[in-house]
Amino acid sequence: MATKLIGERIKRKEDPRLITGTASYVDDIKLPNVHHVAFLRSIYGHAKINKIDVSEARKLPGVVAVLTHDDIKGVLKPMPCVGGVPDMHTPEHYPLSGGKVRFVGEAIAAVVANDRYVARDALDLINVDYEPLPVVVDMEKALEKGAPLLYEEYGENRGFTWKISGGDIDKAFQEADRVVKLRLVNQRVAPIPLETRAVLAQYQDRGVEGELTVWTSTQIPHGIRTSIAGMLNLPEHRVRVIAPEVGGGFGCKVDFYGEEVLIPYLAMKLKVPVKWVEGRRENIQATDHGRDQINYIEAAVKNDGTVVGLRVKVLADMGAYYQLLSPVIPTLTGLMMCGPYKISNVSMEVLGVFTNKMATDAYRGAGRPEATYLLERTMDAIAAELNLDPVEVRMKNFIQPNEFPYKTATGLVYDSGNYQAALQKALDHVGYTKLREEQKKLREQGQYVGIGISSYVEICAFGPSAATATGGWESATVRIEPTGKVTVLTGSSPHGQGQETTFAQIVADGLGLTMEDITVQHGDTAVVQYGIGTFGSRATAVGGTAVYLALQKVKEKATKFAAHMLKVDSKGLVFRDGKIFPENNPEKSVTLTEVALAAYLAKDLPPDTEPGLVATAFYEPKNFTFPFGTHIAVVDIDPETGQIKFRRYVAVDDCGNIINMLTVHGQVHGGIAQGLGQALYEEVVYDENGQLLTGSFMDYCIPKAHHLPKFELDYTVTPTNVNPLGVKGVGEAGTIGSTPAVVNAVIDALAHLGVRNIDMPLKPEKIWKTIKEHAPKKGPIIVA
Amino acid sequence: MRIEGNHTLKGKPEKVWNTLTDPEILAKCLPGCEKLEKTEEDTYKATLNMGIGSIKGTYTGQVKLVDKQPYSSFKMIVEGKGGPGFVKGEGILNLQEQNDHTLITYQGDAQVGGTIASVGQRMIQASAKMIIGQFFTALDMLQEQQPPSSETSSGGAPSGSSSPPPNFFFKVTLRYLWNELKKILRIKN
Amino acid sequence: MIPAAFEYLVPTTLDEALSALSTHTDAKILAGGHSLIPAMKLRLASPKYLIDISRISDLNYVRESGGQILIGAGTTHYQIESSTLLKEKCPLLTETAPYIGDVQVRNRGTLGGSLAHADPAADWPAAILAVGAEINVRSSRGERTLKAEDFFVDMMTTALQPNEILTEIRIPIPPQRTGSAYEKVKQPASGFALVGVAVQITLDTNRTCQRVQVGITGLAPKPFRAIGVENMLKGKVINDQLLAQAAEKAADGVDPLSDIHASAEYRSHLARVHTKRALQRAVSRI
Ligand SMILES: Cc1cc2nc3c(=O)[nH]c(=O)nc-3n(C[C@H](O)[C@H](O)[C@H](O)COP(=O)(O)OP(=O)(O)OC[C@H]3O[C@@H](n4cnc5c(N)ncnc54)[C@H](O)[C@@H]3O)c2cc1C
Repeated sequence: MATKLIGERIKRKEDPRLITGTASYVDDIKLPNVHHVAFLRSIYGHAKINKIDVSEARKLPGVVAVLTHDDIKGVLKPMPCVGGVPDMHTPEHYPLSGGKVRFVGEAIAAVVANDRYVARDALDLINVDYEPLPVVVDMEKALEKGAPLLYEEYGENRGFTWKISGGDIDKAFQEADRVVKLRLVNQRVAPIPLETRAVLAQYQDRGVEGELTVWTSTQIPHGIRTSIAGMLNLPEHRVRVIAPEVGGGFGCKVDFYGEEVLIPYLAMKLKVPVKWVEGRRENIQATDHGRDQINYIEAAVKNDGTVVGLRVKVLADMGAYYQLLSPVIPTLTGLMMCGPYKISNVSMEVLGVFTNKMATDAYRGAGRPEATYLLERTMDAIAAELNLDPVEVRMKNFIQPNEFPYKTATGLVYDSGNYQAALQKALDHVGYTKLREEQKKLREQGQYVGIGISSYVEICAFGPSAATATGGWESATVRIEPTGKVTVLTGSSPHGQGQETTFAQIVADGLGLTMEDITVQHGDTAVVQYGIGTFGSRATAVGGTAVYLALQKVKEKATKFAAHMLKVDSKGLVFRDGKIFPENNPEKSVTLTEVALAAYLAKDLPPDTEPGLVATAFYEPKNFTFPFGTHIAVVDIDPETGQIKFRRYVAVDDCGNIINMLTVHGQVHGGIAQGLGQALYEEVVYDENGQLLTGSFMDYCIPKAHHLPKFELDYTVTPTNVNPLGVKGVGEAGTIGSTPAVVNAVIDALAHLGVRNIDMPLKPEKIWKTIKEHAPKKGPIIVA
Repeated sequence: MRIEGNHTLKGKPEKVWNTLTDPEILAKCLPGCEKLEKTEEDTYKATLNMGIGSIKGTYTGQVKLVDKQPYSSFKMIVEGKGGPGFVKGEGILNLQEQNDHTLITYQGDAQVGGTIASVGQRMIQASAKMIIGQFFTALDMLQEQQPPSSETSSGGAPSGSSSPPPNFFFKVTLRYLWNELKKILRIKN
Repeated sequence: MIPAAFEYLVPTTLDEALSALSTHTDAKILAGGHSLIPAMKLRLASPKYLIDISRISDLNYVRESGGQILIGAGTTHYQIESSTLLKEKCPLLTETAPYIGDVQVRNRGTLGGSLAHADPAADWPAAILAVGAEINVRSSRGERTLKAEDFFVDMMTTALQPNEILTEIRIPIPPQRTGSAYEKVKQPASGFALVGVAVQITLDTNRTCQRVQVGITGLAPKPFRAIGVENMLKGKVINDQLLAQAAEKAADGVDPLSDIHASAEYRSHLARVHTKRALQRAVSRI
């Protein structure tokens, strides 16, 4: 029987250890004499620090060091931002801030002690003399004249302005029958990985050649290695970074944080292993936040629903500093502003704004959920304005299946797509026509039912190196060991996606082996060749392709050995069931084990062939990939209380070829949960003084199982020709597609009252108030 | 956070004024006040052990009375910091005679920062109200027990620390409660 | 999330616990620890002594005696949830329990701990008020019994003195033709009650309301009996319209809480709506 693993539903190799609690995260790694760090963090949103008195803390038995900004000034460089845009103000920030603090949670002192409890106790002994300064947390206010300034030296809170346009936007608006306007708030949310950040460092002083080992919960171990080496002036080959099990990242671990350089620095300075494990409250305060945009949208439309132009101004909240990629995130909103639609004239202006809050950076979808949200809300607003069915407006504007590759007005080239098919499949699945009829009937009975559609296309598989901040390729090694078992090394270090399974499928299929024959290693820079990491739904499309290419190389060599051993022509040899044989003569075979052994024993090498069976590939993609789909949510609203209940949730996603339906399902499930979380529950709230009010899970609501509807999932398959696997990526699709579907459903439920917008999160109270305001009067209203 | 409200106290504004601006009395009525030391005219250094229920913490800071318009209004500024974070409040108290009683209306702003703000948002407002309520209740009780002779000017600075909360105070409500409630009082006054 | 240092005492009898409590200042009773430990980890509470009463077996029971059901303060939420005696004789409690937290919380947290903590958004207080419970407390000097409505004093504040331990909850067994219901609107993040309404109502065969008790949590700094609602129903023949009218009084005379999850106005509205629903459901069960 021929093995065929690609496309199968295969349980993840990772899960037994994750489920049984035997996986090893940073905090599980025990080193002798490890010391612990606790950070003192600002309790003010904006303040001058006149003095930090650490003398009492230093005296506490067990405390070995207390550091403040003064101790690292001139020793550590400012933290890097590689995702810059032209002409931006770039403030400096350090692992420990001094002089001034600009958000609640900013680290200002670090205590190192021989015990976690002592380190924490010492924090209470540090005396900080803060001089509070006026705070600004609201972007619109931050841009007003006279607003408190985070950086006096810039004379403004605007960090940058970035623009993109295509076609002739002015002409489009002149020719439009009407203009539909919306102001949308895409609120600030927190990524909340299950495992918070954690760093452990050990410096082994081996005379001349000391070696620094850093365990950190990251999505980009090699990038962290380069950064640490640069920050600490160490030769990179003496630095080893290990991302062991990583309990989720969602983008917030595609970053290089101050703690990731300070902990190694302390380990070197103090000559003891040093560990820091972030608490959940620290995580909500001081790990990247996501989204936080205000969109002012103007759509130029024809009376038949055709969108001829789209003009958007975006305020993007950067928080108090840039993290690694902060400024580049909203530019993705700009690039993707056409979505699945043929909008030939577009323009977007993005203003990056400083406020007294934690920085925003990548969070699952990173800029694309914002693009889809603004587009899909606009499509519904257009439908409402023109009294058209939302489906009709979408169908009218979609790019046609025969137009791919399609160049958008923003300059991207969409690889492949069939947006109509995905929408149609979702409509059929949910029974759209009947649902609309039912909705009408129920409305007459005073029941509020809403149907929300969201069609999206997203940009994935980051990406061509020319278009990415730190290189967009990926690496892989496929090493057939002497016994014929296979080790795969991927630079695409996972944090829950399941590459150990999907990459094994690719290799097992290619070599005619079983899943058990393959092991995939990752996350250790001493083991794996330089790689980029896992983010932007790139693991399979870029990392998987690198594996595939390395596999072809090693296969070619194994073929040479097999042909030599079988004394046949290498053409026409196939790998199946652990053997290699001529396709037309299966009886004449060698096992892969025999081939591997021969390659390593090297007694009888084929001509011009080196011993060994290893190949490495670095794959540089020529383009991004563009997955798409349609999500439909159906909700009931309790008119008396505004509470929302799901009736149905249907998602039809197209991520090109599917390697493993189970892992794809997993990604879509998690993605929808997070997208729906943003639509209904999640919001990082700072009060006007910059205090973080949603500082724990008592107040920050991540969606739990009981908040979620049953997911009815389906797929269309439109392969890409960007990579040989035909895969596109599905890590973020759920987050991108779901948020507008849910919001559109809720607005649709209230549409007959004249409601056109309610900003997220759609808390029942807002719904209730909106109903109350609308029920008697009727007429469009916008609730902020 | 905006804080406003009113309380009616026994006695005419003159009497209430003197009570309110008397540091010795303040020390007894500020829930959880362990120490109130005069540092300059109308400025006091304070240590307060305040909280609600099992939640409590010690705050050190200062209480300042400014813009004093005898018998009619003054502004109180309270600032404190401690393990759970900081509290800062500023409020104007107006005294108005109402049939031999005094109606005190107050409005101000309070800010709470640190742990309390980040995990206790749902309770801050109510805690503030509760502590303010306790302050006035204690004040009322105290006034009742205070002979009119206490209407000495508040200028006579009390020496050093005031005594721990007096017994009658405990009678007013439950003792353990008190101990805890005192913290947020800072917020307002 | 690291508490300050404390001494840990584990008495095995109530007397030992009471004496420890009177000996040590700055001591706290530790029951299930599901309110106290989180506060300690945040260092919002740093008692010097913890007196763990979870090993005192005579605080852990549900039994019937003299027309009452007696529940030991140390009885866990789950033990109440799964009590067949309560399910039969006082179903309001078995209906309320599953609304508390999650399985882990219900396996550790105790009825006594929840009442003593008096979180304004806790579930038990509403039910305890609605069943007309009495609360027995003891100190080394003696014991006293309080009505539930006198037990809750203010936000997180009860009539318990620092030297007292809540020992028992006593619930009169409701008469025939009694129906009850608990309605809860969860705050989505914490799962605690934005508003919780517990109703226990007794009708005679003419559907005249003999007795009704409505306990509301989440709305105000302390849980309370909605007397206005009760008064409109008592002695009247019940119909849906009357229930709805009475429910309109649910938030009367209280100073509602307000936070980022729900304004005072919305909380009050929810209290009215869910009082109506709880009343309807309770009546439908008679
Ligand atoms: C994740 C989570 C979710 C939760 N969700 C809910 C919810 O939805 N609804 C809800 O109502 N509650 C909820 N709770 C709280 C939970 O029900 C607690 O168990 C309960 O509030 C306290 O009970 P305990 O036994 O754990 O008390 P502890 O935490 O041990 O003690 C609480 C306080 O009461 C005092 N105390 C305890 N027992 C006595 C006694 N016998 N006599 C005198 N004083 C005593 C303690 O000294 C302490 O001050 C939740 C808790 C958690 C951790």
